[in-house]
Amino acid sequence: MVRYLILALLPFLALFLQSTFFATYTLGGAVPDLVLIFVTFYALMNSAGKGAVYGFFCGLLEDLFTGRFVGMNAISKALVAYLVGRYQVNVFKENIIVGVGTVAVATLLNSIILFAVSLGMSEIFHVDSGVLTTVIYQIIYNSVLSVPLYLWYYNSVKSGWLRYNGER
Amino acid sequence: MLRLFKNWYFWLLVLLLVGALFLMSHTATHRENLSSIEKIIRETYTPMQRGVSTFKTRTGSWSGVFSDKGDLQREINELQKENQRLALENQFLREYRQEVDRLRILIGFEESNQDRLELLPARVIARSPGNWYRYLVIDRGLKDGLRKGMPVIHPSGLVGRVENVSNSSAQVSLLTDRETAVGVIVEETRDTSGIVEGLGNSRELRMINIPYYSQVKKGNRIVTSGLSISYPQGIYIGKVTSVIREPNGLLLTATVQPAVNFDRLEEVLVVTAFNREEFASVSEATEED
Repeated sequence: MVRYLILALLPFLALFLQSTFFATYTLGGAVPDLVLIFVTFYALMNSAGKGAVYGFFCGLLEDLFTGRFVGMNAISKALVAYLVGRYQVNVFKENIIVGVGTVAVATLLNSIILFAVSLGMSEIFHVDSGVLTTVIYQIIYNSVLSVPLYLWYYNSVKSGWLRYNGER
Repeated sequence: MLRLFKNWYFWLLVLLLVGALFLMSHTATHRENLSSIEKIIRETYTPMQRGVSTFKTRTGSWSGVFSDKGDLQREINELQKENQRLALENQFLREYRQEVDRLRILIGFEESNQDRLELLPARVIARSPGNWYRYLVIDRGLKDGLRKGMPVIHPSGLVGRVENVSNSSAQVSLLTDRETAVGVIVEETRDTSGIVEGLGNSRELRMINIPYYSQVKKGNRIVTSGLSISYPQGIYIGKVTSVIREPNGLLLTATVQPAVNFDRLEEVLVVTAFNREEFASVSEATEED
C-alpha cells in the first residue's frame, strides 16, 4: 500500500517542483522533466506493460496540470516507458551508468515523440534551432539529476519503501 | 508477436493510447473553459505554489538584511539619481499630456486610451513545468473577475494574455510561447505593421510579415498595434536587434529583444477592461490621416 502511495505521490511532487523551484533554476532555459525520470526508473525496474500504464497516467497528470493539448505527454511517456521496459531485461541495473544513460536516451525519445505527435496533430510550433538546444540542455539536466535520484530509487526498490513484494 | 496480442497490458495500452488521441483532438483547439478535473488539479496545486511564492518573497526580504551595507548604500544612491531623472522627465511628460489633451479636444478624440485600462495586480506563483509551452501561473482567478483572453502587462512591457482560468489561479501564456502572436507596429515610424511571435526562449522574439519597403531598422521600438481585439494599443514589446530579408524578397523578418525579463517576473498587472471600441475608432482615424 505504501509503495503505491509513493508511486502516486512521486509524479505529483515532481510536477510541483518542476513548476516552482526548477522553473526558476533552469539550465540554458530548459526545465528538467522529473516526471519522465521517475517513469523511466519505474519501467526500468518493472515490465514494459506496467511501465507504459504508469507512464500514461503520469503523463496525463502533467497534461491536465498544463491544460493544453491533453494526452500529448500521456502518449509520449507511455511509449518511452514501454520501450525502456522492453530493453530493461538485458541490462545490469545495479550499474548507475545504466540508470543515467537510460534517462538520457528516454529524454531524447520523449522529445522526438512529443514533436512528432505535435506535428501529427497540426499543432502550431515555430520550429528552429532553439528547440534542439533546449532538448540538449534538458538531456544534460535530467542526466545530472538522475544520479542521486537513481541511487535512492534503486535502493528503495531493493530494500526500501518501493520494494516489490509486500509492505515494509 | 502472437504472445504480445495475448498480453492484456498490450490491449490496455492500446485502449489508453486511443483514449489519449481522442482527448488530444478535443483539447488541441482553444477552449473557453477548463474541464472539472483540470480545475480540481489546478486548485490542489495553487495553495502549495502560493506558499512557495510567499516563502521566496519573505526569504528574499530577509536576505536583504544580511546584504552588505556598502552595496545597499550604492543602490540607494543610484535609485535616488534615477528618481530625480524620472521626476524631471515626468514634468515634461505632464506638459506634453496637457498639450495632447488640448489637441484631442480640438480634433474630437476622447481621453487617452491608457486612462481607460483597468488593472488588477497579481503575483506569479508558478511557471510552466515543461519546455514546449511558456506560461506563468498567477494567484488571481475566476473569483477575482479574470477571464480567458485578458491581456497581462508589466511596467516594462507586454507579458502575454490569460490562457485559462480556475477559481483562484490563472495561466498566462507568455509572449515568448511558440503559440503566441501579436499584431504590432514600429513606434517611431508608425507605418510598419507586422506580427510578433514567440520562439520558446525568453531572450528573443521574431517579427514577421514586414513589407519589403519598410524602413524598420535596428534600435526601433515595437509596440502593440491595437488592431486586434486582444491587446490595447501602444503597449511596449521590445527593441529591434536585427532585420533580414526573406528568401522570397517580398517580406522582412526582424529579431526583437523583449522589454520584459520573463525569467525574473514576480508581479504582473492583468488588464481586466479596456475600451475596445475607442481603440478601434482611434486606429481607423489614424489610418485615414
